Amino acid sequence: MKEDLELRAALKAALEPPGDQAAFVARVMAQYDQALERATIPTLDVLASWFRPGIAAAAAALIAGFLLGRTVLTPAPASIDAAMAPLEGPGLAALVTAPDPPDASVVFSSLVEQR
Amino acid sequence: MGSSEDDAALVARTVAGDRAAFGVLVERYAGQARRVARAVLGDPDDADDAAQDGFLSALVKLSQYDSRRPFGPWLMRIVANAATDRRRRRNVRRVEPLDASLVGGGPRPDAAAVRSELGDRLRAALKELPERRRTAVVLFDVEGYSHAEIARILGIPEGTVRSEVFHGRRRLRTLLADWKEQTR
Repeated sequence: MKEDLELRAALKAALEPPGDQAAFVARVMAQYDQALERATIPTLDVLASWFRPGIAAAAAALIAGFLLGRTVLTPAPASIDAAMAPLEGPGLAALVTAPDPPDASVVFSSLVEQR
Repeated sequence: MGSSEDDAALVARTVAGDRAAFGVLVERYAGQARRVARAVLGDPDDADDAAQDGFLSALVKLSQYDSRRPFGPWLMRIVANAATDRRRRRNVRRVEPLDASLVGGGPRPDAAAVRSELGDRLRAALKELPERRRTAVVLFDVEGYSHAEIARILGIPEGTVRSEVFHGRRRLRTLLADWKEQTR
């Protein structure tokens, strides 16, 4: 692509800043120290980047604590045979063969017999 | 544009804490940075704010600059980003239609007024171009950067830069040709 001197000159003139260049340079240089100072102070972004892992760690600890507590407090599940063991004998027979729902006293007496 | 060697030496002095060296860099690139920022933002005051942001941002990032590469494109990338950020933050830059008085021409009392009117028309035409296209045209035609350098500045492929410059120039050349026709 060839250089277009005419377009270049016209565009350059159109975009030429209206103010004095020396004033602009002075304005930038007036901020020199502040810019370097700002660069050495931890910004909110940096603090936020420290904060985020803290929240994640706290959340992980909370979840781990909940799961651990649940494991400790929940009794181990019993087998179906163990669960049915108290009903062996007449109680179980009455429960299985009766056409109507068993009387609670039968079940209770069966449990007492097992003990 | 200053030579890369000189720029690299000035950068090294600035990193070592030499304030005057940074001043020389600002002086050297002030015009270019202000024009590029103006290409992005349109408004000259906003452009100066963005150019200043760019220089100060470059100052704190100077230790990241690779002195084997030319300094100008590295700085212009920061300035262009600063201008784009400012435009996004303020979100006040609307694409304004061409002023009817600029499109239609009109009485031109003297050569200075003619030049001024051409400048107005070019700025209005630049505003009509998409931001990336006008920045690419200005970097290529006004600041003299190569397509490869512009690709690095804008963070886009070189082929895209060629396309953007081609289409942007075509629009501006048409405007310039119409203008010459009218002033004959």
